[in-house]
Amino acid sequence: MNGAARISGPAADGAGAIPRLETVRLILRAPRVEEFEAYCALVASDRAAHMFQLDRPAAWKEFAAELGHWPLFGYGPWHVERREDGALVGAVSILNHDTYPETEIGWHLYEGFEGQGYAFEAATAARDWAFTERGLPTLVSYIDPANTRSIALAERLGATLDRDARGEDATDLVYRHARPAERAAQ
Amino acid sequence: MTLALHIPRLETPRLILRAPEPADFEPLCAFLTDPVRAWGFGVEKDRPTAWRWFAANIGHWALRGYGYFTIEMKETGEACGISGIWEPEGWPEPEVGWVVFDGYEGKGIAYEAATRARDWAYTDLGLTTLTSNIVPGNTRSVALAKRMGATYERTYHNPNMGEDMLYRHPGPAALGLETDNDGSPEAYA
Repeated sequence: MNGAARISGPAADGAGAIPRLETVRLILRAPRVEEFEAYCALVASDRAAHMFQLDRPAAWKEFAAELGHWPLFGYGPWHVERREDGALVGAVSILNHDTYPETEIGWHLYEGFEGQGYAFEAATAARDWAFTERGLPTLVSYIDPANTRSIALAERLGATLDRDARGEDATDLVYRHARPAERAAQ
Repeated sequence: MTLALHIPRLETPRLILRAPEPADFEPLCAFLTDPVRAWGFGVEKDRPTAWRWFAANIGHWALRGYGYFTIEMKETGEACGISGIWEPEGWPEPEVGWVVFDGYEGKGIAYEAATRARDWAYTDLGLTTLTSNIVPGNTRSVALAKRMGATYERTYHNPNMGEDMLYRHPGPAALGLETDNDGSPEAYA
């Protein structure tokens, strides 16, 4: 399917399409059912120490709950594919779980795809879409203080530490992303 | 498989089975976080985890092509429960499930909704068999499963519920239902 995957029906509330975003090297697209396996392997591993570690049934519930964001909110998770060979390199997600004080953008990469700027490239595309196409007023990233790689990426994205904002957990750092006009002024 | 979701609207004499909507979360949350009412279904410890269940049900529709409908009373438009087909990770096979919210018990709503959901699963999804998983001691659900013609098959370990009884429903032929020849899930094609 070339265009946006369409979620229809009353639950969609007119906002269920998952847009396909393209960057120089990557494609952000709807998650696929079979990609649960890669997600499950990640969240069960030490690589997820800064996110959460879940067993298989809990991972499935989380995967489904993230996907359920699209019809509920008109944003949610994308899976990120490399144009060159179609490899699944990771995911970028805009989420608003009930526990989140604000809407969050997050990212993860699968093993072997780090250090090539893929997370930056994907998160930039998702953030720009969220502000310009989806019209979100603000966007934060909740980051574990020990997760130095994610902090570096948030800063590279132009986000700044918001010490007054509340995180999902009390220990979270809250990085607030700049809107396009604010970035132009930076 | 491309992600696609279409949740149909089904009717019975008194009820509408429809897609969950954001406003359905409040009564569902009240049910899921009530340790007495939800013990046979799966209690969620707090509002955030109940919210994840709500969102995961919609994702379940996208991943499986089925899930829980919200049951609405035709007369008042109020959400009075949920019923549908459920098979999250770790389930032995798809099951018919039902929940009736506080104040709506004893009116035959669960029977009417679950029977309609089961018929839909056989005729539109093309499923050929269905189960209901019931925790030992949930006598009301056992009574309803039996009223629907289901029979006890075995006890097994469910990842969410622990010891669980599996009841098997009559198949589409035994219920006299016409099914799609190719068994294709046309409802969400």
